This record gives sequence, structure tokens and C-alpha cells, in this order.
Amino acid sequence: MPVISPSAFAPPVSGAANDRVAPVPASLREKVRRLERSNSVRRSGRAASVPLGISAIDALLPEGGLLTGALHEIEAGPAPSGRVSPHDGPVLGFAGHLLGRLGPGTILWCRRPTGTFDAVPYAPALSSWFDPARLLMVTARRDEDLFWAMEEGLRCPGISAVVGETRAADPTAGRRLSLAAEKNGVPALLLRAQPAPPQSVCTTRWRITSAPSCSTPGLRDVGALRWRLELRRNRFGTPSADETPSWLLEWNDETHCLAVVPQTLHGSPGAHFEERLVG
Amino acid sequence: MRLADARALLPDLVTEAGEPQADLRLVEAIAGWCDRYTPWVAIDPMGGALADDIEQTCSTGGFGGDAGLLLDVTGCTHLFGDGESGERALLADLVTRLARRDLTCRAAMADTAGAAWALARFAERQADLFCPARGQRDALASLPVEGLRLEAPILETFLKLGLRRIGDLYPMPRAPLVRRFGEQPVRRIDQALGRLDEPIEPRRLPPAFRTRLAFAEPIGRAEDIAAATSRLLAALCRQLEQAGVGARLLEIALYRVDGSVDRTSIGTSRPNRDNPKLMKLFEEKLGELDPGFGVELMILAAPEVEAWSGTQDALPDQDSPTVAAGADGTLDLADRLVLRLGAENVVRLLSRDSHLPERVQVVTAIASTPATAGAWRRIASLKGARPTRLLQRPEPVEVTAFVPDDPPSVFRWRRHAHRIVRADGPERIADEWWRPRPDGSRPPAGTLPPVRDYYRVEDDDGGRFWLFRDGPYQLAANGLPTARWFLHGFCA
Repeated sequence: MPVISPSAFAPPVSGAANDRVAPVPASLREKVRRLERSNSVRRSGRAASVPLGISAIDALLPEGGLLTGALHEIEAGPAPSGRVSPHDGPVLGFAGHLLGRLGPGTILWCRRPTGTFDAVPYAPALSSWFDPARLLMVTARRDEDLFWAMEEGLRCPGISAVVGETRAADPTAGRRLSLAAEKNGVPALLLRAQPAPPQSVCTTRWRITSAPSCSTPGLRDVGALRWRLELRRNRFGTPSADETPSWLLEWNDETHCLAVVPQTLHGSPGAHFEERLVG
Repeated sequence: MRLADARALLPDLVTEAGEPQADLRLVEAIAGWCDRYTPWVAIDPMGGALADDIEQTCSTGGFGGDAGLLLDVTGCTHLFGDGESGERALLADLVTRLARRDLTCRAAMADTAGAAWALARFAERQADLFCPARGQRDALASLPVEGLRLEAPILETFLKLGLRRIGDLYPMPRAPLVRRFGEQPVRRIDQALGRLDEPIEPRRLPPAFRTRLAFAEPIGRAEDIAAATSRLLAALCRQLEQAGVGARLLEIALYRVDGSVDRTSIGTSRPNRDNPKLMKLFEEKLGELDPGFGVELMILAAPEVEAWSGTQDALPDQDSPTVAAGADGTLDLADRLVLRLGAENVVRLLSRDSHLPERVQVVTAIASTPATAGAWRRIASLKGARPTRLLQRPEPVEVTAFVPDDPPSVFRWRRHAHRIVRADGPERIADEWWRPRPDGSRPPAGTLPPVRDYYRVEDDDGGRFWLFRDGPYQLAANGLPTARWFLHGFCA
């Protein structure tokens, strides 16, 4: 059981400010954390991190990818027009991409149904990222049960990842999940349909919004999936030049890879064409 | 006798309404208590209070409300003493213990269930209640024919003919008896005398594997119960191992000092005899058990067992390296989850060959299905056009379209208007006409099956939705379109 100092859960402090106040303890603490982490990862016999396959993002993340023994949050951001996002379809897509890059093993997916308007994860779509036969779906009536099930899953050697869908932001539960994930080297993903109060313990927090796709010139068809991805928290990672680094990503269904859309293509001729066509 | 007649004879008669359900509960509680003597306990189907036809009951015994229990104590009496003395001791013990709880009972023991039934109801002397081995012919001879459990019309005829004692029937020739009264009287005599087997159907099937632990002093603390469970489990696991089986269902019963029984059970998703793992499952459940004023006896049983599949699993298939049936602890995890959340809440997703989006994904309990990797591969060709979330029931949306057959230009869902910028479709999915409808009827021949036209649309914010129109565009008589639009899912 790694010993965690209470301040390890403190809200993120920007690196520069931290160094000025107390340079030695901060770096020391970080070093201890890294040692503990590598130790727990070695014991679990899994890779310390899983690269996302996008070099621009992987460069910012610790160990060159998504840490396996850690808690990650993915939330649906507001739409570009500022409206609350109507659904969290892209969150599932991005989570599916991450799960697909993890090794084999059962994926424990815990969710709380939201009553009559419940929209269940749909396996035919998820099958483009991973085999849905690997899923073990758990429905919990209460948040305590959900967090309990997630923690049990993290302790099980056959589980390769644990996914939780909830609106609850319970700091204690988050801390327990984070510790269990770290101890067993299994990633835990918390999916949020709405932005929730940030969990200070999560290693990374992603915000994902669906972005307008690029039609075939001259047509009005829906193009390849495009997401606007923001990395809103990146613990142990390399600080980025921007406060919240953000990328426009495109999922290619043929090559099964996620890639950053080059900036120059944002205002593509196709987009102009559409403006004229629709507007 | 009618109640009115009885009231006329005895004006201050106290009457109470009968409560057959409460009677049944009491009889079941007593039957549960009788498990202490033998696992083979049956509630007597001929017992008065439990018979459906009250008229019939009254005519057979004349004792309205005489519920009965049948206990097969074969092989259980040696616990009370050797040979006949043990049998007598068991009978005496049963009667005195029930009397201590203010329950009056008449218990008889004989070689056959039929003889014991007759003796318990019609024996005149206390000494006759115990029938020594192979003595049932003499013991029954002097009893009235009611003791044979016959139907009312046959019984009436016997009485009219002056056949009042069971012994009167012994010298009767069998063939005319069968021709005159059917085979019932002969069968009942044979059963009572032990010439014909009479199976007793136990109330709860006695499990093949069980262990019991009796305490000199009643225990009540949770720690003691856990310790006792662990001892019982160790013994049971040894039994299972010797028999080469694993338990699918385990049941623990606490026999409390006040005569009541509390039970709880755990299920496993595969045959299991791993002591620590089973104990972990029990730890979840032991808290639910109420020791009451103290527990004097605990019985742990495995009512459901299956052949032990062994610790060695099949070699992983090259195509499906993920499936190594539970060797990785996944099934143990599932057992724990099922125990706390219920079996319907821990499921796998299976694919089904269907065009209808809501039928493709089948939710199945984890215990009943092995994981089959690659089952979804055939569906994968559709993945791009499918939503990541599917609404359990499609929600109606209001739609505006420039051209009737076009994808809509605006749709309103939950009071928000979404302006559609891009759209893919239509993808026409027809109803599966070869499948009966939910109400069992089949669509009439010659009619077109209902169709849905699916569109994947993207609004001006980039949000992607999956809409459908429930039929081709047509105008009804009142000039309004007949087809309605629904939202069925959210795309990534």
C-alpha cells in the first residue's frame, strides 16, 4: 500500500508557482510518487502507459501515454455555440478509443440508469474500437454500489479497465478509486455526460465535444467523426504552452486511427461551400 | 354439521374465521423445524387443513383441520439410540419438543407412510402409536377403514357394506375388489402394508451434500456464526472434492432456539469448491442472517452441484485470446457483483442476427453465457453508421423538412431546436415479417411490413443524432402526413 501524503490530493498548482514556494519538497514528492507508481506497475506486470496514438498528445502525457494505474475523467463539454451538449455520444467514442488501445481482458462497465430516458451504450458502434464481448455491464441503483463495483473490478486481476458512468462527484470515492487503480495498475475511467465538479485526484481530465464534420465537396453527407478534445488536467505530465491544450481530432473508420486535423484545413473549401449551400 | 345447526344446539359457541394461509405457514414452519430429524420431510397432501376440498377432508377423517407431516427417518434414528430404542426415542423427542411449544400432535412410526398415517389418526391406545418393524399388518387390522385414505364415495360404500375395519378387507379377493371399487383400495392396502412402494416427495429436496454443526450452547455473535460457517464450509468443500463436483448454489440454515429457521443462499457462476472464495461470498450475506435468541444448529448444504470442470482450462484459441473462462478471476468478481446487485444487473452483451437496431444487442445474465469473442465481428460492417448510445425507447421529435422525402432541416427534441447541416440516409430497415409480433399474431399476408427510414444527421453545433421516420411519406385523409419522426440514438 503506497503511503500518500495528504497534500498529494491538493488541487493542481502550476509548476512555476510551486517551485518558487517550496522547490525541494515538491520535486521530492513527485519523485516519490513516480517511484511508487513504477513499483506498483511493475508488480501488476502491465505496461505503465498506453499511448493514444497521437504524437502531439502523447508528448504531453507522462510516460508517453495514458497511465494505466490511474483515474481518468472524460466529460462532455458544452457545444461550440455555448449550449449544454445534448448528449455524450463523443465521450463514449473517445472512451472506446482508449479502451481499444488497452490490452486484452474484460472491461467492467458500471452505470446508473437514468430512468425512462435511459440511453444504453450500443455495442455495434463500440465494436469499431473493441470487441463488445469483452464487456461486463453492471447496473447500479445507487452511487455507493457503483463505486463499490468499480473498486471491486479494479482489484480483480482479469479486468483490464473499469469504466464508470455517473453524475456523482464524491471526493472520497474518487480517492479510493485512484488508490485502487494505482495499486493494481488498472485504469479507471469516469465518464461524465455533463461537466462535473473536478475530481482533484484524477490523473487526466479530458473534455470532448463533437465538432462539425467535413462533408464530401458538393454533398451534405456526414463526414468522418470529428471531436474537439481538451486536456484540462494533466498530472505528472509535461506542461503545455497553452493553459488547456486542445486539438481537433478526426476518427478514420477505414484505418482505425485517430489523428489531429491539420490547422490549415479548418477553413477548408468544403466548409465554405457548405456555408453557401446552407446559409 | 352446518354452523347454524351448531349454534342452535350450543348458543354461546365461539366461532373464528378459518385462515388456511396462516395454517399453511405454520405447517411449513413446523416442517422446516422437522429438518432437524431428517432432511426428508413432506407436508402430507392428505392433511385436512391443506386439502383443497374441505368436504372431502371432513369425510375422510372427520377431524377437520388435521394437517400432517410425513418424515422419512430411515438412517436417522441411530442418532437417538440403537435399533428400536432409537426410533422410540426420536418419536418421544419429537412429541415432547412440539408439546413444549404448545403444539398438540399425534406422531406414529411405522415401516410405511400409509401405516404411520393411519396409526397417527386412528390408533386408540398410546402404545399402538409405535408399530414395530414388519408389524403393520396386525397393527392396522383393528383400525377403521377411514385410515386407508380412500375417496369419499368408496368409503361410504364400504361402510354400507359393513366393512368397517381395515382387517375386514384382508380376506377379500383382490380381483372383485378392483372390479367393484377401482384399483384405489387395493393400492392403498398394498402401500400401507409395504407391498407397494409409496414415494414421499420431500418439501425441499434433500441436498446430496450437507454438513451440520450443533452447539452445546446457543451462539448469537456474528463472529461465532462466521467462524462456524467457515468450519462447515471447510467440511463441505472436502465432501465436494471427494465427489469430484463443485457447488453452484450453497445454502446455510440457522436453527434458532425458538424453533424458527433462517436461511440464506449464495450462487456461483460456475462450479466452485474453493473454500476462501466461497467464504468471501458468504461474508456478504451473513450480515443478513438474524440469530434471534441464539442458534443451536447450523446446516450448510449444496443443493445444486455440477461436475467440477477442473482448474485447467482449455488452451486459448488463437482468435480469442481474451476468453479463458474465469481463470483470471472475472467470474469470481461477477459472483460478488451478482450477490450484491442482483443477477439482472450484471450482464454481458451478445449479438443477435437481426436488422432491427434494438434487437441486435441482447443482454444476458453472466452465469448463463460464456463470453464468445468475435461474435460482434459480423456486425462490425455497420459500426460507422450506428450510434454509440441507443435510447431504450425512441423519443418522438417534431420535424420540419423542405421536401417531404428529404432529411429534415430542423428537428425539435426536448424543446431544443437543432438545425440540421448534414445528413446521411435514408437507410431503410423493414420489420422482420418472419417473426411473430409481440402479441403472438402474424402480419396478414399481402401487406407490406412496417419500415423505418433512418438518417444520421449532424446539427450546426456538430452534434450527431440518429433519427428515423416510421414509414414512407404519405398523406392521410385529413391532409397530414402519416409518418412520424423519432430520435433513436446519439452518435459519437
